[in-house]
Amino acid sequence: MTTNKVCLLGAGSTKYGKLNESIIEIALNAAKDAVESAGITPKEIQAGYISNVFGVADKQVHMAPVIMSNLGIPHVPGLTIESACGSGSVMFREAYANVAAGFYDCLLALGVEKVTHTGTARSTTLFSYCSDFFYEGGNGASFPGLFASMARAYMTTHKATEEDLAHVAVKNHENGLMNPKAHVHKKITVDDVLKSPVVASPLKLLDCCPFSDGASGVILCSEEFAKKSGRPYVEIIGSGRGGSPAAVQGREDITTIPSTVAAARQAYKMAGVSPKDIDFAEVHDCFTIAEIIDIEDLGFFPKGKAVHAVRDGATRLNGEIPINPSGGLKSKGHPIGATGVGQVVEVFEQFTGKAGERIVPNAEVALTHNFGATGASAAVHIFKKVDRK
Amino acid sequence: MIEEKLSTHKSTLEKFIEAANRKKILAQKCVKCGHLMLETVFFCEKCAGNKFEQVDLEGSGIVVTYTIQAVVPEGFEDVGSYAWVVFKLDNAPLRASGLLPGIKTPADLPIGTKVRVAGYDSKHGLMLQK
Repeated sequence: MTTNKVCLLGAGSTKYGKLNESIIEIALNAAKDAVESAGITPKEIQAGYISNVFGVADKQVHMAPVIMSNLGIPHVPGLTIESACGSGSVMFREAYANVAAGFYDCLLALGVEKVTHTGTARSTTLFSYCSDFFYEGGNGASFPGLFASMARAYMTTHKATEEDLAHVAVKNHENGLMNPKAHVHKKITVDDVLKSPVVASPLKLLDCCPFSDGASGVILCSEEFAKKSGRPYVEIIGSGRGGSPAAVQGREDITTIPSTVAAARQAYKMAGVSPKDIDFAEVHDCFTIAEIIDIEDLGFFPKGKAVHAVRDGATRLNGEIPINPSGGLKSKGHPIGATGVGQVVEVFEQFTGKAGERIVPNAEVALTHNFGATGASAAVHIFKKVDRK
Repeated sequence: MIEEKLSTHKSTLEKFIEAANRKKILAQKCVKCGHLMLETVFFCEKCAGNKFEQVDLEGSGIVVTYTIQAVVPEGFEDVGSYAWVVFKLDNAPLRASGLLPGIKTPADLPIGTKVRVAGYDSKHGLMLQK
């Protein structure tokens, strides 16, 4: 299959956290930043791809046309895509595919979420609807509970400890301190994680990402459009999607996520690179155990070894493969419709000199990984820095 | 007439619940290849066959993994301390999951503990007991 090269020309995010604005205003703030970052006007946008899960909680569904109208381009077609916590990357993939296929030269891909106003109890319930509800949420499992069951399986199989998991949280909070748009700016220790209240055993509060509001948007375009702009851009060189049995009970091995493995395999093949070629990665760390499983499934570490690598500092900003320089979902936050796009924003900022003190030195190839629910759907993308000298 | 016919049709989920109340797990057996599946499938994941025989499996098994929910979803506040459990069925290569009340600490539920289906609660789903 021959496809056109697709590039990132601009990117923007709101701060992640508890936001007062309406879900549409949040989306528009990120869209405005993305448009200005790309040096274009909305009139050059030919389509709008929007990802969102719980728009109904802020009384707005079918939000793509509303966003397009508020950008002053009401006749530009838009659509809204939902794939639980993986909505952003799944939407990004569809946006990417439409530029690669030649349908559009320039489009807006934007994710947005607003849930914090519903409170913790309601948000916990809403998120449980993303599970295979009859077997999971309907039997009393929350999302922390589902990942906690995966954590217990991993700890039993690979002799890992709660302290091992805590190192992921400590590292991501350390990175998040350098991200002005992160939801949680707080340095923590392993002891803080271990002493935080239990949410779903063996996971504790500081093993879990926060509920966040926020939006992230990027401008995707053809290579020709990017070159003509004369502005810095990033090339997307790999894209993969995968699926897993929706319910945890349906998986033969609960310590791996098949959708991640499949998506990564496709993306590496398309990009012509291997895990060793990746200079940094933004991965789906909704819970500390998720990051451990992710970085094994993505091929950065052998099965059962990621906990040792994290303890040894291999995933820190100055380590052999920096993971989540943005702070990840754990510290940057997890507005679930926006998260997958937010990871792409981080790559754009890293490759265009906008990552400030969290920059990964000499990085040229980066990977993003984001999944929905407990990994029932996943997408992996690989990006290359373009030298415009 | 059509509406009347549809409204009396028993869904697979309703049959699953009836089986749970008989302390069984309802599974779908592919008529073509014999593959067993728990979920309400319409095509066999092995051979794509579309005819199934529903079979009652003994609702007993051993704990594969679990969590003890401290922060619970709405509607589960009245259960008290409980575990959400994934268990491997004794007599089939399948796993199922459900709610096991009365679990307060991991010491109450070592991996490998025997559990069995106690019934189906309309509010709390598939209930287990040790």
